[in-house]
Amino acid sequence: MASIELDRVSKLYGNGNYGVHEVDLTIPDGEFVIFLGPSGCGKSTTLRMIAGLESISSGDLRIGGKSVANVAPRDRNVAVVFQSYALYPHMSVRQNMAFGLKMRGTDAAVIDAKIADAANLLGLQSLLGRKPAALSGGQRQRVALGRAIVREPAAFLLDEPLSNLDAQLRAEMRLELVKLHRRLGRTIVHVTHDQVEAMTMGDRICIMRDGRLVQAGRPLEVYADPVNTFVARFLATPPMNLIPATLQAAPGEGLSVLTDSGAVLAVPARHRNAYGERVGRRVILGVRAEDFHESPDKPDWQKIAVRVVAVEALGAENVLIGQIAGQPTGKDDARPTGDDKPLEIAARLSRYFTAPVGSTVELYIDPLPMHLFDPETELVIARPSLMGATR
Amino acid sequence: MTSMDRNERPAFRRRFGLHFGLIVVCAIVLLPPLWVLRTSFVPEQLSYSNELMPAFTTDNYSALLSGRFGQSYLNSLIVALGSVLLALPFAATTGYAFARFRTGGRWARFAVLATQMLPPVALVLPTFTLFRSLELSNSLTGLIIVYAALNLPFLTWILMGFFEGIPVDLEWAAMTDGATAWGAFWRIVLPVSMPGIAAAGVLGFILAWNEFLFALVLSGPKTATIPVALAALQTSNGVQIAKVSAGVVLAILPLVVASRFIQRFIVQGLTFGSVK
Ligand SMILES: Nc1ncnc2c1ncn2[C@@H]1O[C@H](COP(=O)(O)OP(=O)(O)O)[C@@H](O)[C@H]1O
Ligand SMILES: [Mg+2]
Repeated sequence: MASIELDRVSKLYGNGNYGVHEVDLTIPDGEFVIFLGPSGCGKSTTLRMIAGLESISSGDLRIGGKSVANVAPRDRNVAVVFQSYALYPHMSVRQNMAFGLKMRGTDAAVIDAKIADAANLLGLQSLLGRKPAALSGGQRQRVALGRAIVREPAAFLLDEPLSNLDAQLRAEMRLELVKLHRRLGRTIVHVTHDQVEAMTMGDRICIMRDGRLVQAGRPLEVYADPVNTFVARFLATPPMNLIPATLQAAPGEGLSVLTDSGAVLAVPARHRNAYGERVGRRVILGVRAEDFHESPDKPDWQKIAVRVVAVEALGAENVLIGQIAGQPTGKDDARPTGDDKPLEIAARLSRYFTAPVGSTVELYIDPLPMHLFDPETELVIARPSLMGATR
Repeated sequence: MTSMDRNERPAFRRRFGLHFGLIVVCAIVLLPPLWVLRTSFVPEQLSYSNELMPAFTTDNYSALLSGRFGQSYLNSLIVALGSVLLALPFAATTGYAFARFRTGGRWARFAVLATQMLPPVALVLPTFTLFRSLELSNSLTGLIIVYAALNLPFLTWILMGFFEGIPVDLEWAAMTDGATAWGAFWRIVLPVSMPGIAAAGVLGFILAWNEFLFALVLSGPKTATIPVALAALQTSNGVQIAKVSAGVVLAILPLVVASRFIQRFIVQGLTFGSVK
């Protein structure tokens, strides 16, 4: 049993900086959880604290229900795969994999059997006699994983294990890791700064920023309902468009959003109650790139004029970079980027879409998934989730 | 084929010029030691002759080795090896502590370096007085202790550098794999840094092998090391230049071997592929 509980865990470094700040998180036994965040946000530090390689400055950490504050790394029964792989350079692949078992006094015959199993699983049979120096990056990665697997630890802690691999190998290993988790059923904490890994691999994503846990939830939940603009932008490429705007009353009981560039977007009736009390206030309108469309396929999609700045052809789709056209309102105090560049939005359109640079095209926004954020706090203005709801 | 020849010609000329220059420089540098080598095989009476090889003899060597010099040679080997073997464990553990932990702070690191700045003359008399009262003067044990002490700061500093170059991930991996902190040091860090430790050991050996001042003050006739024995050759019966030459050749021999080792160890990378 290896649930992992972080109870207001902080790491205060000697230079007075918090590497990790009051992280609260419970990882149930067997969960595949992703730590996602930009470089320097405290992912590795958190992982090292769980492994016992870094002391905890305050808070409590429990593995399998027991506080491990005073438990040495070797007694925590967790295996770590480091970003650098950290293979023992003077040992063969076989010896690397055997090391952890030997340290625990396992029988030689048992060690051999376990290594054979793991080598089979990871396709390392022909490499067992080699030293790490004679392996490719992908092979080293698999050896590092094998070294962890043979120990059958209660939890795996993986620190950006795929970041040194080329794109194709990374895609393969993503799948392999997911299969491995299904087969072993052990707790896995997987650190990454890659959103594709985060969205596709885990049961749950924990998004970190500046040492704090910003949001934790199932990948699609976090995607659909980000708690703030940081999460909204971080979890997608291109990131969610954040458009400074004002919420205003519309004829009837309606609400609409007036962007600073002068475009008007009616708020779907479904969100009216939640946003009602913000009428007349500044907001940031969040629209995902894929919620722009080239043609009005649904009656509630709303027309918006966009001046084309560039069209990036990605093969499977074209991404339009443009500026919302309209009569500017003269308010731009809420612009999130804070620079003087006119706000640019990104729209994911079909690969057949083309338009000359400088021309103005009409796009259609699906308003239902939109979010409004508070420009001061950057927090989302809560509204009922669409998850599980029918349209 | 012809086009290749034409392409290679300028390269050849450049290389010839380069090699010619290098040969001249080497000749200038090597001439004195080569002359020493030559003199060591020439009878004492003919040693100042201008002829290249007036006569050939190995008498200088046999005379040296049958006398006190053979004993000195052995003494030097014992003292140099002994002091390095004594100093290395301390240097390795201290260097590791400095590299990985805050042990002793900046002050301790500076203190280790500072000992290297004291002129040896300032140390030799107190050491002599101390050793005489401990009955360690005139003994190889005394010299071993002195050289180990002289080597310690230097070896510590070198090894600290080597340990700092070893990714801490390796130790962390070992510790999650079930090793204690000491186990990680013993089973991972030490083997991985073997080339560095060997190189440091060779440097320490050379330092002890060449040391003269302490050896002169602390050794007696039976415990003299090579530098002392060589000096004795120069003063007892005038300068016996042929014998001194033979002694110098013998003294250099281990250093030539050692320098080959150093090259190999230092060229060999430290972590050879543990990390991407
Ligand atoms: N030993 C250390 N001393 C001081 N600050 C550190 C130390 N290790 C990491 N940090 C800081 O803690 C923060 C989190 O680091 P880290 O956990 O490595 O981030 P991540 O793995 O998310 O990129 C960073 O700002 C980093 O500079
Ligand atoms: Mg990291």
